[in-house]
Amino acid sequence: MSFLIAPLTIACISGVLAALIALIDKVVNNYGECKIDINEGTKVETVNGGDHLLSLLSTKGIFLPSACGGKGSCGACKCQVTTDVGPHLPTETPYLTKEEMADNVRLACQIKVKSDLSIHIPEELFNVKQFNATVLSIKDLTYDIKEVVFDLGEESITFHSGMYVQIVVPPYAKVKGSTQRAYSMSSRPLDHNKVELLIRLVPGGIATTYVHENLKEGDKMGLIGPFGDFRRSSTDSIMLCVAGGSGMAPFKSILHDMIDSNVTNRDVWYFFGARSLRDMFYMDEMRALEKENSWFHFVPALSEPMEEDNWTGETGLITDVLDRFIKDSIGVEKDLEGYLCGSPGMINACNNVMTNNGIPIEKIYYDSFA
Amino acid sequence: MKMSPNMRKAQENMAAGVITADGFLGDDKRPIQDMIVETEELMRHHGIDIDDAVQILKNMMEEGRNGLGEPITVEDKWIVQTTEARGHLPCPFEDGIQRKITTVIRNISLNESIMISTLSLHLLKKHHFLEGKGSTFRLEPDKMKRVLELK
Repeated sequence: MSFLIAPLTIACISGVLAALIALIDKVVNNYGECKIDINEGTKVETVNGGDHLLSLLSTKGIFLPSACGGKGSCGACKCQVTTDVGPHLPTETPYLTKEEMADNVRLACQIKVKSDLSIHIPEELFNVKQFNATVLSIKDLTYDIKEVVFDLGEESITFHSGMYVQIVVPPYAKVKGSTQRAYSMSSRPLDHNKVELLIRLVPGGIATTYVHENLKEGDKMGLIGPFGDFRRSSTDSIMLCVAGGSGMAPFKSILHDMIDSNVTNRDVWYFFGARSLRDMFYMDEMRALEKENSWFHFVPALSEPMEEDNWTGETGLITDVLDRFIKDSIGVEKDLEGYLCGSPGMINACNNVMTNNGIPIEKIYYDSFA
Repeated sequence: MKMSPNMRKAQENMAAGVITADGFLGDDKRPIQDMIVETEELMRHHGIDIDDAVQILKNMMEEGRNGLGEPITVEDKWIVQTTEARGHLPCPFEDGIQRKITTVIRNISLNESIMISTLSLHLLKKHHFLEGKGSTFRLEPDKMKRVLELK
């Protein structure tokens, strides 16, 4: 029996140490009740201190944008903290400008609430809700893009076209924690009970892999939103919209919203770039919209059409096609606005084409993938 | 080889489902310290300078960005496609974040491809880590040398 003495002693010591750590954690990390004053008394929430501001706000039904679900890797959950909560952390600084830091802007997922504090958030965030949605349909648009439609059941969402939601991906396979990712809504704002997203598979992406390989019709999924300020302006300027792939989402929503709202006083040109025909989708729907609405012009372009595509439409990079159309078909002298959705590289390239054709930079709106 | 706490934490972060769905280790069960030593030896063996190789790969990534997400031909030798996704990925060594940019470089005459990302380039340059065998973004030095036509 003597051989048991050593392991039993070690087990007892480990047990005592674990209990001691748990006890110390309870005492040291017990900050008690803390008050969070939002927008100078617009709302005052009482929370149990010790957790991060982002998650504590969400327990009170106040959702800040967060494309990573609080892991400190997206920089979306910015808010102004007017109470002194210490210096900016190294995990915050990569996402903040000097001006933001001087203005006490912090990442809510990195700030622990240890005492009463005051914050400022945009008023529209009070309208953000979490939905327990059901997957109504999943459709393959291309080999790597899926259209996913969610039914919100009894709940309803109020949003303007161009906004986005965050999907809450549950733990799956080797992914142990829950993950959140942001996607632009392609659905009609008029349809308050449905949310449609276009999701492109990203190599190694936690959320997109889940959607493409695990998600099925009838599944439940959390959605948080609406977020974002990308939107159609209220002017009569001609709209030049440029996007490829899943970047079509906000423009599909904007187009349907214009039709539903009977906004027919401004022309819309939609330039949709892809490599070959297998990367194109919604062609029939866009053609039908063009036929029914004289103010809508759809310009699909292939950069490298295959022989079997029998492509007779525009060819070349979408920026070259855009440049040609502004000069030859639309007119540089017209009152133009730019609307872009895509990667920073694509947005920069389109910005150059548009500004070179006399469109002021402040009249170019974009939803960047950065 | 004994690993420091930082190395152990990095290896935990590299597991599937922590930062990316598939992780950074593939089927490789070795401590990352051993993988890093192997990387340095392999690169030396193939006569590849890590910094030079990373610079060439970065240049390829930038060339690919001119395609705005579509593949483009570079110097009549390579088809390069750079795609960007929303958001950032933290480095498993917890020393910063990287944009989600992926580039596939295909050598036309060899019909062989390699795939890189901003994070895989950071891991190679800063940490001399090529990712575990079987990982999606694992760069095999001999294949990299062939595809890039390094002397």
